[in-house]
Amino acid sequence: MPDTQKETVLKVLRGEKADRVPNFSGMGSITLQGIQSLGYRFNEIHVDGAKMAAAAATTYRLYGVESAVVPFDMGVVAESLGATVKYYDKADQSQIIYPTMIRKIVDRAAIAAPEGMSDADAKTHIMKETERQITEYQFQKPADLAKMGRIPVVLDALRRLKSEVGNEVAIGSWTLGPFTELGQVMDLEILLKMAAKKPDVVNRHLQFMVDYLTDVINLYVEAGADFITVREMGATSSILSPRMFKNLVLPNLQALFGRIKSAPTVLHICGDTNPIVELMAQSGANALSVDQTNRLPESRTKVPNVVLLGNYKPFGEFCEGTPEQVEAMIKQSIEEGADGVWPGCDIWPVVPEDNMKAMMAAMKKYGVKV
Amino acid sequence: MTATAEQQADILERLKNGVVEYDEETVIAAANEALEESMDAYKAVMDGLAAGMDVVGKYFASGEYFVPEVLMCADALYAGLNILKPHIKMDPAKMVKGSVVIGTVEGDIHDIGKNLVKMMFEVAGFIVHDLGRDVPLDSFVDKYLETDSDIVCMSAMMTTTMIGMPVVIQKVREKNPRAKILIGGAPINEDIADKWGADGTGKDAPNALQEALNMIGVLRELGDDFKADRKAKEWGEDGVMQTS
Repeated sequence: MPDTQKETVLKVLRGEKADRVPNFSGMGSITLQGIQSLGYRFNEIHVDGAKMAAAAATTYRLYGVESAVVPFDMGVVAESLGATVKYYDKADQSQIIYPTMIRKIVDRAAIAAPEGMSDADAKTHIMKETERQITEYQFQKPADLAKMGRIPVVLDALRRLKSEVGNEVAIGSWTLGPFTELGQVMDLEILLKMAAKKPDVVNRHLQFMVDYLTDVINLYVEAGADFITVREMGATSSILSPRMFKNLVLPNLQALFGRIKSAPTVLHICGDTNPIVELMAQSGANALSVDQTNRLPESRTKVPNVVLLGNYKPFGEFCEGTPEQVEAMIKQSIEEGADGVWPGCDIWPVVPEDNMKAMMAAMKKYGVKV
Repeated sequence: MTATAEQQADILERLKNGVVEYDEETVIAAANEALEESMDAYKAVMDGLAAGMDVVGKYFASGEYFVPEVLMCADALYAGLNILKPHIKMDPAKMVKGSVVIGTVEGDIHDIGKNLVKMMFEVAGFIVHDLGRDVPLDSFVDKYLETDSDIVCMSAMMTTTMIGMPVVIQKVREKNPRAKILIGGAPINEDIADKWGADGTGKDAPNALQEALNMIGVLRELGDDFKADRKAKEWGEDGVMQTS
C-alpha cells in the first residue's frame, strides 16, 4: 500500500526515502476560494480557532495540497509579548490585508521629543531614546503562555485540524525565528544598527526569544502540529552579512532547533540565500526552505544531503499567469532537486482555482519517482 | 574668507569618506569647517555627503555593505545634512524644486527602505510629505491632491501588501494622468511596475534599499535638469526612474 499523504510528507521531513515528491507548505497557504467556500471574511479567520482550522483545511480539501497550516499572519507571538496588532476589515474583500503589528514594544513612533526641539535634534533624540529603551528592556515570560493573546486561538485550531484532517495530511505550524521576531517587537532600524554596534545587547534579547519560542513551539506540537517551520526571513543575506548571520543569528537558531525534540523542523529564509545555505544547514533544522531567488541546483551541490524544500514563487505568475506557466514553474522545482515542492513564502490568497489545479496536476506528472 | 580649491576638495573628501565609513564625528567636523570656510553648502551636500552615499550604494550592490552598515552611513549623512541644510541658498537654477508624497502601504510597517528614499529626496532638495507606515490607500491620493505634489512614492516590503499599489496608481492617474509614481520594496520589480503603470522602480533590484541608493545618482543629475517649471521629463538614463 502506498504511503498516505501525511506519511510521505513526514518521510521527506525526516530525510527518509519517499516514493514521490509531495506538495506542501509550512507557511500560510490559504486561498480566497477556500475562505469564500466557507462563507467567511478574510479578517475573521485570524481570531477564531474553528474558522482558522476550517480555512486552513480548505487548501487540502479543495486542491489536495498535503498540509494544513496555521496561523496565517505574523503577529501571533509578538502580540503575546505585548505588541499591538491591527485587524483590518475591508468592505472590499478583494483587498486582502493581513493582521499587522502597528505598535511594537519599543517603537520609535511612540517616542516623542521634548517640545521646542528642532526637527534634526528631535530625530536624534528619538533615535537615542529608542536605543536606550532597547538596551534597558527586560523581556518577561508571561505566567500562562497558553492564555496569552491569540496563542489559545492557534492551539484551538491545531487541535481541530488534528482531529479533522490529522490522519490524512501533515499539520504544520510556524513561528518567526529569534532575530525576525525581535524585529517584530522592537524598532527594526535601531535594532539592525545595534546588531553591528552593540551585538551583546541584541544577543541578550535573542536568547530570550530562543527560550520563548521554544515554549510556544512546544505548545503548538502538543496541540497537534506534526512539523514546525521557523521563518528567519529578517536574517537573509539581502539584509545581514553572512558574517553577522554566523555570529549572531546562527548560534541562536542552533539553540532553538536543539531544543525542539518533539517534531521535525524546517528553517525558512527568503531572499538571497545562496551565500548562507551551508550555514543554514548547520542550524540543526531537519529541512531547509528557500524562496525563488535561491539557485536550487547550486544549493543542491553545496548541501547535497540536506532536505531542501522549495521554491516556487507564490505570487506573480502563480496568481496572474496561465496554468501552463504554473506547470513549468513546478516542473522546474522538481527537476532542480526540491525534495518537497513548496512555496517561497505565504501563497497569495488570490491564486485562481485553475492555477492551483495546474500545480497539483504537475505534481502527478513530474513528481513521481521511478 | 573663502577656502582654496584644495581646501574645498579636502573638505568634500572628508564629508564623503565620513559617510562611507559611517563616521559621524568626521562628517560633523567637516560640515562645520565647510561653513567656516564659506563653502557653498549645496555643493558640500551634493559633492560631499551625497557622493559618499553613492559609494555606499555601490558597496551595498557588491555585497561589501549590508543593511546595518547602510543605516549607519545614513545617520552620518544626516549628521552633516542637519548642519549644512539651513545654509543652502535656494537658487532655482541649481535646486531641484519639487514635492513628494511618500509612505509604506496599508498593512505594512516596514519603513527602512522608505526612509532611505525619503533621505535621498531630502538631500536633493525636495519637499517631502511623509505619510509614515501602514498608510490607507486613499491617504496617498488625498495628500497628493492636497499638496499638489510632483511625485507619489509607495513602498511595500511584503508580497502580501503590495497589492494595494495598483489601486492607488489608478486613483492618482484618474486625477492627473501625468503624475509621477514610483513604487518600491522587496517584492517589486520593473515588470510589476510596468504592468501596474508606475513610472519606475529599482532596476534589477529586488530590494528596496538598493533602489533607494540607486536613486541618488539620478537625483544628483536631476539637480541640473529638473527646472522650477516642474515640467515632466525623462528621468536619468540608467533606468532607475523612467517615464513610461
